[in-house]
Parts: sequence; structure tokens; C-alpha cells
Amino acid sequence: MENLTEMLKGVLEGCVLDIISRNETYGYEITRRLNALGFTDVVEGTVYTILIRLEKNKLVEITKKPSDMGPPRKFFAINDAGREELRKFWEKWDFVSSKMNELKEKTL
Amino acid sequence: MNFWEKITGSDMTKEMKSFEARVKNLPADYQAAWVEINGYLWPHSDFTGRNLIPILDGVLGLLEETSADGQSVQEVLGDDIRGFCSALAGEEGAKSFRDKWRQQLNHNIAKKLGK
Amino acid sequence: MGIKDLIEGKREWRAHVARVKTLPNDYQIVYRELQKYLFKVGPVELTEGTGLLSGIVELFEEGAASGKGVLEVTGRDVAAFCDELIKDSRTYADIYQEAIDSKSKK
Repeated sequence: MENLTEMLKGVLEGCVLDIISRNETYGYEITRRLNALGFTDVVEGTVYTILIRLEKNKLVEITKKPSDMGPPRKFFAINDAGREELRKFWEKWDFVSSKMNELKEKTL
Repeated sequence: MNFWEKITGSDMTKEMKSFEARVKNLPADYQAAWVEINGYLWPHSDFTGRNLIPILDGVLGLLEETSADGQSVQEVLGDDIRGFCSALAGEEGAKSFRDKWRQQLNHNIAKKLGK
Repeated sequence: MGIKDLIEGKREWRAHVARVKTLPNDYQIVYRELQKYLFKVGPVELTEGTGLLSGIVELFEEGAASGKGVLEVTGRDVAAFCDELIKDSRTYADIYQEAIDSKSKK
């Protein structure tokens, strides 16, 4: 789906963190996963800015590994603080989405 | 207190001296812009100039990098140096100036990529 | 470390510039324009070494290596990409305003 940029802004960080939590991975791979999921508008640059923030906020651990293509890649793995952040993210998401559905179904 | 009094007799002297040396290597139009920028930023408020050093350092870096690139100072700063300075200083109008930089960035890229 | 050290003849900066020049042309164009923008806005990271800028070059190198066009990597709105990049950074304007605030409190 296209033109989701504004709506995705608040949740993309959680999406990226979740993908990282499953497996150690790198920026371009994360972008491909998000694209495959249906977020076709998400570009590498956007994921990159999120990764920088995750790094700054110490929610991930980083290892550099050589790549067969281009420069060495930074691989990201989640740490305890990241897992806690992710838990909070899903909690907030569940709240928001349940309330959104409630709003949609309900006659006010 | 004026600009020169502020910078002499303080620990900034060394930094200001190294700025001067760097400025001498700039093309004339860039040097003129540098003087104008300083003239605007310094007397503008009365805080110890130490806080100004990173800003000036950044501006000088911008001037060095873009002059080495062969661009005219006008291309880089625009006609309105005063406006440029208030944007640097985060004053009124800073937001609209940054918007202008944003547009400029995307516009230049679109133009140069030929799209 | 200041921008001066970053730029003025320092080996790290020269290596960085040389690296930029190995990028495909469209990537170089975008890189130069966004560097100019970042220098004007002045996030404090710029005074802390080439980290912010070389990170961008790495991103671009990998994009180029995978055969993508530069705007496919940054998105069409390059300014928005830059702003996201420095969203949490203090800028010159912040430093200046803080200095004025602390002065007026005295």
C-alpha cells in the first residue's frame, strides 16, 4: 500500500525493532522485509535513520561484518533494553488498535 | 563590550586566530561574507563568545567546503546574509529559512539529476 | 574536535572525500547537496568527527552496489531524509539560543 508515510511514522521504529528481535540483521535486509510485508513505500534511507536512533538510544548491539557486496555491513541485534522497549511498543499498539476498532464499530 | 574586546584576553583568542588563518585562504567574496556574518552574530547578543565558536566553526567549514567546490558564495548563502544568520541563531524566521534550505536541497537535486 | 579538524587537511576527511568520489554520479550529486544542507543546519554530530557523514556514504555504497538509484535509497524527499537523520540532534541554533537563555537568567 502507498502513501502511508505519515501514518507509519509513529510505528515504524517498533516494526524495525521487532524484525531485529527475531534475528540479527542489517539495514537493507530490514527494508526488504518491510517491503515484502506490504509497506512498499519504505526506503533504505528511512530504515537507516531509525537504526541510527536505535543505536543512539542503546536498544541494539552492533557488529560489523564483511559483505560480498559493497562495504562491511553493520548488523543489529536486540539487547535487553531493546526488548523492554519492544514490549512497551506492542502494549501501546494493542491499546491503540483495540481503541481504533472500537471506534470503528461503535455508534457513538 | 565590542567584538575585539570580547575575544582578546580570553581563552578564545587561540581559536579566533586559527579562524583568521583559515579565512585568509578563502576567495574574496567568501571573506566578505565571513566578515558580514561575524558582524551580525557578535554584537547581536551579549553572551560570552565561547558559545559562538562551534557556530562560527560550522559556518567556516561550510564556506571552506563549498568554495573548494567552486560555488559562488551567493549560491551557498543566498542574498540575505542577515536572514542566514538569524536562521543560524535560531531566531524569528529561522523556521522559514530552514524550509527554504530544504526546498533548495530538493530542488538542486532534482535539477542536477535531470528529473 | 571541530569541523575545522574534520575538513582541514586531516587524513580522515581526505579519505572521506576520496570515498565519496568513488560513488556513482547520481549518488555523488545527492551526497554533496545534502552535506551542504547539513553544514548549514549544523547538527552537533558534525563537530564530533565524520561518523554522521561516513554513515551516509556507507548507506550509499551499499545502495549503489545493489544497483539501486540514489532516490530509491533516500526517497524522493531528500530533505526529509536529512531531517529524520538529525531529528534528535542539537543544532547551532539550539546552542545559540541556550546561550542566550542562560545569559538572560543571570
